[in-house]
Order: sequence, then C-alpha cells, then structure tokens
Amino acid sequence: MNDLGKKLTKMAFEDLKADYLLVVRQEHGDLAPAFISKDEDVGEVRFDAPYQLVTVLSRIYPHIPTGKIAIVSRKCDELAINELTKRGILDEKRIVKIGLACDGHTADKCRCPDPKPSKVDIGEPVKGIPEDPLVAKLMKMTLEDRLKYWVRQFKKCNKCFGCTANCPVCFCENQCVLGERTLVSEKSIPPGLAFHLVRSFHMSDKCIECGECERACPGDIPLLALRRMVHADMKEMYKFVPGDPKTVSPLLTTLEGEVMEDEHNVC
Amino acid sequence: MTEFNPTILAFCCNWCSYAGADLAGVSRLQMPPNVHVIRVMCSASVKPEYVFKALSEGIDGVLVLGCHIGDCHYLTGNHRTAKRFPLAQKILNDVGIDERRLKLDWVSAAEGEKFQTVITDFVSQIKQLGPNPLREVRF
Repeated sequence: MNDLGKKLTKMAFEDLKADYLLVVRQEHGDLAPAFISKDEDVGEVRFDAPYQLVTVLSRIYPHIPTGKIAIVSRKCDELAINELTKRGILDEKRIVKIGLACDGHTADKCRCPDPKPSKVDIGEPVKGIPEDPLVAKLMKMTLEDRLKYWVRQFKKCNKCFGCTANCPVCFCENQCVLGERTLVSEKSIPPGLAFHLVRSFHMSDKCIECGECERACPGDIPLLALRRMVHADMKEMYKFVPGDPKTVSPLLTTLEGEVMEDEHNVC
Repeated sequence: MTEFNPTILAFCCNWCSYAGADLAGVSRLQMPPNVHVIRVMCSASVKPEYVFKALSEGIDGVLVLGCHIGDCHYLTGNHRTAKRFPLAQKILNDVGIDERRLKLDWVSAAEGEKFQTVITDFVSQIKQLGPNPLREVRF
C-alpha cells in the first residue's frame, strides 16, 4: 500500500464512512480498476493517467444492492455521475465522491478545458486548455475537406465497440440500435459513416467529454473532437450542457419545456 | 452526359402528410418523380438513425414531413421531431455533409398544394447541390 492508498482508505472508510472504495491501482505493471471493501488491501494506487471509473461503477452498481460506494472522481467523473443520477440509473445517496484534481500532464492528454472538480480532496488544480486545437482546425475547413478528413479517419474503424463499452454515459446495454444487424451489418468492417453519426447523435445530450472513447479507440480516431463539435452545437441551439444535475435534456422535453412522461432512460 | 436525377426519400406521417400526398395525387398536381414516399405512423417515429443510414448509403436527400405543431395525432410527437432534426442537421454539417440534404417541414392533410411545392423545391435544391459525395465513397 502506497501513501496515496493509505490516505484514500482513511478518507473513504473513516471520514466518509463508505462501505466500498473504487480506485485505479497498478497490477503487474499495468493500470486496473479495483473495487475493495473495508478490510482489503488497496494496493499501489495511481492517479497519474486518465481512467474513467464511472464506467466500472455503472456496470457493477446493479450487483451491489446495499452500502455506500466511495469513488475517486475527476471533473468528468463527477459530471457523468450527475448525468446518470438525473436519468435514474445511479442513486446519489449511495455514492460518495472523493474529488481528484487532474495534474497538468493528464489535463493536456485530454485537452480538458476545466479539470477542477467541485470539491478538491487530492491533488493541486491546474488550468485547462480553453480551446481544442483540432476542433478549431476542422471548423475552418470547407465541407468537402471536412468530409474527406472524417472519411479517412472513419475508415480506420474496425467496429470493436470500444467507444461504447468504455463510455461512462452509454447506459442502454443490449438495447442499443448499434447492435442491430439491420443498421450495422455483421460483415461490414469498417461499419460506414452511419455508425459514427448515430453514435454522435446518441451522445449529443449525454457526452461529458471525458475522452475515454478516443483513448479506447485502437485506430486513434479523434472522436473527442467530434463530440466537442456536437456539444458546441447543442449549447448554441438549446443552451444545454450535459452533466448538469437539474436540467433535463431538450430532446426529452416538448417545445414548451415540459418533460415527456417516463422518457428519462431513452437513448 | 445525362442529367443528374436525385434519389430522395420522404418520410410522411400517416395522419397529415401522407393524406396531404394523397390529396396532391388525387388533385393531379404535377411533381418530379424522384421522391420515394415512406409512410410512418408519426414523424417522431423517424429516428435520425434512419436518416443517417440513408445518407451514408448514398441517398441524395431526405425529407421528413409531419403534422403542424399542435396538430399531432399523438399530441407531442412532432415536438420531438422539431427538436431532433435541427440537431441531426448540425451533426451532418460537423462531419462535412451539406445540411440542406435533410429537410424537415410540416404539411397537413388539407395542403396538397404545399406538398407539391415542398417536393418541387427540395428536388430542385438537391439538383443544385449535386450527387451525394458518399455515393462514391465505399466503406
């Protein structure tokens, strides 16, 4: 157990009175998520590389009926938890957040505009990068050039579904239209432009710009840039920012802003 | 060189636009024959997924027609459409497809003439834009 591990276990189990702790630790020289209870050894905790713990949380959450779960959350994790609680997938009372301010190296890697969580428990907050250079470059291009760029990028897709499997806010498992063989045929690799367009549309009111899809992508497709562009459109059109704990997605409300019934979990 | 004849899909809602299309047909209004009409129960049942699939398979333009706001058979169905498709247009623009290839309009059951003008205008617009660039791209 390293110093960070000692500090974390004390904070989670003694100060915050949680029953479980979700962290990232080093195992055989690699990073891996670990879900531990009170008396277990936490191991070599590391937080110098980006890792989306909310993805792990939302997958194991249905299997843990009781107890408080402490999670080390960056700014993006925090937004993802907000988004999932708003949609009724997580219960806010059962989740304790330990705020982690990303270091400069991690923030650079994600091209993160605001890496400071609402409550900082670990780390020193650093300044973010205000504008994504790739988005600025793409928006200056003409339509034809932009299409050429994206087609070249999407030709690298080998339909591994890494971007959906690692996404913290992609919650409709086994129901997603992308698993439908009539939309994305079994043989098609690369899966075509529709796959990526559909995914950007699904993510438009949920994506919290953690960049996990881009990191998971074996073809290095700059998916985060596409998400950011759609995000900017959403903000411009409906003044909506995903990750806000109160406001309901504009795609689930009427033109007058009333919430449609029983529609919170719809993708 | 033959003239470019676009292929266009029109999703028409069962209660208003499809009846409008019927009226236009019965009244013998002249329309370009490039449009394939697909009848759906409500314009909200046209998910943007279908539109994206059509455009990436090489369809030149997609029309989505529904009832006027407030006249929806399912009360708030077309509110959903009205919010979805402007966003879908923006996404198309972000990946470099001209957003004018997708059009959302409202046509009621009594508006056969409006149906004619919508179709004629859209076809001439797509003729100006030229063929879908994705028709040449083989994924």
